[in-house]
Amino acid sequence: MWNSDPDRRRFLKTLGAGAACVALSPADRAEAARLLAAGAFESADAALAWHKAPCRYCGTGCGVEVGVREGQVVSVRGDEKAPVNKGLLCVKGYHLPGMLYGEDRLRHPQLRRNGKLERISWDEAFDLIAKEFGGALEEHGPESVAVYGSGQWTIFDGYAALKWVKGGMRSNNLDPNARLCMASAVMGFMTQFESDEPMGCYDDFELADDFVLWGNNMAEMHPVLFSRILEHKRENPNVRIVDLATRRTPTSNYADLYVEFRPGTDLAIANGILHLLLKKGTIDRKFVRENVVFKRGIEDLDTIGYGCEGDQAEQYTFKDQAQASSLEELEEFLADYTPERVSEISGVPKAHIDALARIYGDLGRGTVSLWCMGVNQHVRGTWMNNLINDLHLITGKISRPGSNPLSLTGQPSACGTAREVGTLSNRLPADMLVTVDEHRAKTEDIWGLEPGTIPAKPGYHAVDMFRALSRGDIKAMWIQTTNPWVSLPNLHRFERKPGDGRFVVVSDIYPTPTTDVADLILPSAAWVEREGMFGNTERRTQHWDKLVEPPGEAKEDAWQIVEVARRMGMEHLFPWATEEDGDWHEPMFEEYRRFTLGVGKDLASYEQLRKARGLRWPVVEGKETRYRYAAGHDPYVKKKEGVHFYKAKKNGEKAAFWLRPYHPPAEVPDAEYPFWLCTGRVLEHWHTGSMTRRVKELHQAMPEAYVEVNRADAVELGVQDGQVVRVVGRRGSIDLPARIDGRGATPRGSLFIPFFDESVLVNELTLDAMDNISKEPDYKKSAVRLELVSS
Amino acid sequence: MKPSLAIPLALLTLAACEDPHRARKVSVPGHEGALKTTATLRADRRAFDGAPPVIPHGELGAACTSCHTVRGMAVPELGFAPPLPHGETSGLSDASRCTQCHVFRREESLYVASSFAGLRQDLRRGERQHDVAPPVVPHPIFMRENCAACHAGPAAREEIRTSHPDRENCRQCHVSAATELVFAR
Repeated sequence: MWNSDPDRRRFLKTLGAGAACVALSPADRAEAARLLAAGAFESADAALAWHKAPCRYCGTGCGVEVGVREGQVVSVRGDEKAPVNKGLLCVKGYHLPGMLYGEDRLRHPQLRRNGKLERISWDEAFDLIAKEFGGALEEHGPESVAVYGSGQWTIFDGYAALKWVKGGMRSNNLDPNARLCMASAVMGFMTQFESDEPMGCYDDFELADDFVLWGNNMAEMHPVLFSRILEHKRENPNVRIVDLATRRTPTSNYADLYVEFRPGTDLAIANGILHLLLKKGTIDRKFVRENVVFKRGIEDLDTIGYGCEGDQAEQYTFKDQAQASSLEELEEFLADYTPERVSEISGVPKAHIDALARIYGDLGRGTVSLWCMGVNQHVRGTWMNNLINDLHLITGKISRPGSNPLSLTGQPSACGTAREVGTLSNRLPADMLVTVDEHRAKTEDIWGLEPGTIPAKPGYHAVDMFRALSRGDIKAMWIQTTNPWVSLPNLHRFERKPGDGRFVVVSDIYPTPTTDVADLILPSAAWVEREGMFGNTERRTQHWDKLVEPPGEAKEDAWQIVEVARRMGMEHLFPWATEEDGDWHEPMFEEYRRFTLGVGKDLASYEQLRKARGLRWPVVEGKETRYRYAAGHDPYVKKKEGVHFYKAKKNGEKAAFWLRPYHPPAEVPDAEYPFWLCTGRVLEHWHTGSMTRRVKELHQAMPEAYVEVNRADAVELGVQDGQVVRVVGRRGSIDLPARIDGRGATPRGSLFIPFFDESVLVNELTLDAMDNISKEPDYKKSAVRLELVSS
Repeated sequence: MKPSLAIPLALLTLAACEDPHRARKVSVPGHEGALKTTATLRADRRAFDGAPPVIPHGELGAACTSCHTVRGMAVPELGFAPPLPHGETSGLSDASRCTQCHVFRREESLYVASSFAGLRQDLRRGERQHDVAPPVVPHPIFMRENCAACHAGPAAREEIRTSHPDRENCRQCHVSAATELVFAR
């Protein structure tokens, strides 16, 4: 700005010197004068500082440079030094700063009294939480309190919550929204490798020959990673992309092979590919012999069920039972999955199943499988994860540069916080479980707690946690950094009734349908308004500094938890000076890091992470690891070549190949509800839209939700593009505009609705059926009908 | 370093008024009827200087790159489609996936009002060592490899239009600052 007189004089002189040289249009001159008078242009001398940070939104973990001036974020640019994105961003990332400055930011703690929100102080808020949680503990025990967290929590937030809930309140009722998004991937990796998270990394985007996308619209959901694939393909025309999907998406436009299948039949397709691989003999027998064991679990549909309302017990506690299997048994098991039968189940032409088998079976080409919500939000999501990993195990295409199964994540720290810190109801840090005596003992030892402090029984998983709240088994709940009253399935089931006797605290940055039902609302600091660390899809831990002050009295989530713990007499859990902006982040992180060292999950030091553009664990002697379990890459592998699944202790340090059959979805279209309903995201908005809708450019590009309708169905029903229609299911109905052949195109008998729009809650229609092993709900397969709305 | 002489030339002289928020037709030899933007219009289309602009027209039913070619194209009835600034050397870019970063403006209202005040373009940047030295490039090159897209041709704003578009190898003389530090042994 034009604060400095010498500056201004110099500028005017400069202008005068050059004016004669150029012919200016009258409009340019008029505008120039107006802008000059208004002081609209920046001064070159104004202090603009650039700092590194990861993007706030998805699990890709793009590096950005944040432009800060006079205490405000004024700009963001892609960080060309960031190995993840190499300078590129997507439209959400480019418009990150706007996310901080919506005028309705929550600025002060507010308590609901007699139906009205009243501003209170932090001290009053903390005392009240301590009283309510303390009272519930005393009266009803540790199972009556709960914390529902987030894959958007920083590592600090998650660690503070884990320590307070499990080590302080002696409860395992801690679960993140990540249960709704990648729990099936966790259970896939855990059941097969006994260690969570991918063995591969993003380097594969420049090394693989074939990319097989399982129900994964990367062009919209992980656009920067998809750009890396497309760039690789442009430079290497032999690279192929296969898009397996239940609807055409922008991703399909770039696929060499588009394979459209009936919802849920990916299980049959994967088994069909395995059938052909064995039949053709295109498997790596040596690899299998040396590195793989075979297993199968409970397969009876009636025993397993779907865990949804009306299906089974109020609490869904199915537990799989493993038994040994063999390659010979696999051949028998797969006998049913002939191309003919798989084609009949899935609607996929036999030739496409054969093409997929040839891709996985071509042992000379590198194959990367990619998936995200299509596979994870699936009533047999763990099975689907198992089957994709199986395809790589049977062909030996795993832990090799350019050949890996790579599960993508939707939240910025689903990996770093939910999975690595272990903020799940059954978990402890670094792959440890509350059900294992030694794991609890190790945790209690690092935390300096009495043996037996942490309970051995897992707490409620996310959906059951909200069912327990509705029932009244949970008396006090704290929700941070997430919006469950938009994102839970079968939302009607969780409606809060006034005076229900429960105490619900919500920490967030903007008002949402979740803060609407909260008793106490706490304002949180967002993104670069506080120090943080996220862990992305490829095991990369990324640190950022606090760059600007949060608005009003907003505070970071971790600090909120620590202050409440102190008031509950649990200050021994947080023995660091946690005054505002104190240096407690480093000792907290270094304590957490102790869990990771020496067990193959080694995180870099706080100091190293502060400087680096992220590092991929295990980081041993300061060096990151690109490929886990691979000789020459992973420092824990002592072999000279090949792979070593050293984490899989139960299976003799071999990976487990699981035999998993096809099961139909929980709800399928019928005469009354003849359409499939699939829900998901769009490029412009992230999750429930509470941040991205406050960004002008994103909202104006995608202002409201819509229902994508197939053209032939639209013609048959008399639906015009843009016309408001009613989508009716067994659990509710919503009205919204129809879109015919928009950016996506659904097949006949199938609808798609994005979930970002809180005014049109598509989760009032979805079924709360869930995966039997991960307990992750299936948002992709409900049955509905389409009705015209009379004007 | 002195500020650039050439870049801010447009800002001084007072003259007749036109709405700076609207593109207007200009006469450029060979491109009659080309639509030209103003600095204000440029700012209207961006959240902040450096952000990808929103798409200023509706969906036309054609691939973006059919008009926004490397040299741009005069489109009958619509004006001049500015050239694609993202060059072949842009690493990750894929020219056909424009809407990954550029979005349409389908709605004029806001969901919630915002107090965001983004960085504005600094027309005084582009420092030069002395009066006749070529100015350094005042912005990142990444995704802006085709200099002519903004600095030459009918779509170029006059404030930043080059006087020598025929010399196509711009970076032979205009370098990009990779650091703000000065050399020290």
